[in-house]
Amino acid sequence: MALLELENLSVSYGAIQAVRSINLEVETGEIVTLIGANGAGKSTTLRAISRLLKVREGRIRFDGRDITTSSPDAVVRSGIAQSPEGRQVLALQTVQDNLELGAYVRHDRAAIREDLARMYTLFPRLEERKHQSAGTLSGGEQQMLAIARALMSRPRLLLLDEPSLGLAPLIVLEIFSIIRNLNAEGTTILLVEQNAKLAMQHSHRTYVLEAGQITFSGPSQELLSDERVLHAYLGG
Amino acid sequence: MDAVQFLQNLLNGISIGSVYAIFALGYTLVFSILGIINFAHGAVFTLGAYLTYSLAVGQFGIGGILADLQIPFQLSFPLSLLIGAILSGVAGVVVERCAFRPLRFRGADPLLALVSSLGVALVTVNVIQYLVGSEIYSFPSDVYGDIRPAFVLHFGEKLVVIRTVQIIIFAVSIVVLALLGYLISWTRIGKALRAVAENASTASLLGINVDRFILYTFFLSGFLGGMAGSLVGTSFGIAGPYFGVAYGLKGLAVIVMGGLGSIPGAVLGGMVIGLAEAFVPADYSAYKEAVAFAFLFVVLLVRPQGLLGRSQIQKV
Repeated sequence: MALLELENLSVSYGAIQAVRSINLEVETGEIVTLIGANGAGKSTTLRAISRLLKVREGRIRFDGRDITTSSPDAVVRSGIAQSPEGRQVLALQTVQDNLELGAYVRHDRAAIREDLARMYTLFPRLEERKHQSAGTLSGGEQQMLAIARALMSRPRLLLLDEPSLGLAPLIVLEIFSIIRNLNAEGTTILLVEQNAKLAMQHSHRTYVLEAGQITFSGPSQELLSDERVLHAYLGG
Repeated sequence: MDAVQFLQNLLNGISIGSVYAIFALGYTLVFSILGIINFAHGAVFTLGAYLTYSLAVGQFGIGGILADLQIPFQLSFPLSLLIGAILSGVAGVVVERCAFRPLRFRGADPLLALVSSLGVALVTVNVIQYLVGSEIYSFPSDVYGDIRPAFVLHFGEKLVVIRTVQIIIFAVSIVVLALLGYLISWTRIGKALRAVAENASTASLLGINVDRFILYTFFLSGFLGGMAGSLVGTSFGIAGPYFGVAYGLKGLAVIVMGGLGSIPGAVLGGMVIGLAEAFVPADYSAYKEAVAFAFLFVVLLVRPQGLLGRSQIQKV
């Protein structure tokens, strides 16, 4: 049984149907990438999984449990954390407070302190700035903070929405190597990216979303050499 | 005005200003979370005053359908004040459930919630009038127990009189402010509350139950409003069910002056309005409100965002 299963999922924004009857699975231990053009419904899918958007039709199952009608906070407690698009750090609170709020659903204080130390090892720049308000960080630092904050809940599934958006190429590579390491340590990841090639190179499987529907899916290595995908998304 | 008169006005202003501050914070908290002014706040202020009065005096009222109805117990003033404020907090929660939540869940324009809160305010005030009448209520002078009514400082021929009740309302307000400041700045709940205020959808991605925090906020807001009403009531009496309306408007002046959504702004604004009123000479005391609002007008001309507001609205 897959860790996450989307079954015939449809999501609407008002009258517009942003996602139409998609089926998607993420197995434990995988990195799965969801690629597609702007407005294809990638972020919509992630926001629906986090229950920020109403599901129109279909089911979302996590670890065999139906979470289609759960509240957003219940989804986090069940083990899904999201690093949202545009980073969305709490600009008025300090870096450390942001991280501690990431562990809001946990009550094991000692382990939270350990994880905080681990985040600072993983992202040394966040430690240097831990008492600064998050709004003063650079874009790359805010992205690191958003990822670290999501990790603080010790999620079994991490949803990453456009982690490379607006970042310098070197920082993007750094972030992707961190994503690989997290996965190697056991975190399952569902990744949404504009930078399709890079995301596919760093993931096990890929789904291609087009106008709200999944048009291709398969192992990333295979899709990377697929003529049609190459042509449409990889500028080849 | 000589130095002694100045000192007297200053003390009067600080005392009432501290109550304005906690009252205005009730508006600020709700505004920070929802971006809406809760017009029922003045009604909760009134309700708190009547509740504390009933608990401390042991009867509901001297008019209305509850006239002469006795409560089988009579509580000490501190306990009455606390329970009155807690019940007001519960009233705040009821206001949220009736006036705000149904509209929010339907995705209605926030402006509609403002109107519905005004409706709740009117209903509350009318129900209070129906229950306890519109007479003026004064707390009995021995409500604080056996303590001296005032302290007199002698400056040669001149006197500065500090009523004990002024000290009490100042002390209570400061304690409430300190506790609230601690709660919001240093506790896990406070940090989560600020997260909800800054961005509700991000807060929910962190596992924070936003609706529950909205309820907490209305409880705190009602608690502060009811406590402020009780303190003003003990100091000046309860001038009838509508007495919260004037204070409600004054509270709005306070938060606009301080900067919408700013907690330090609400405290500073409360002090400024309290002092501005205190320095209105006794002969012109009927114009107190006019002076306070004129002051607000001048401040807004110079700083449209309020004294401590940011040009972009800062929340909590």
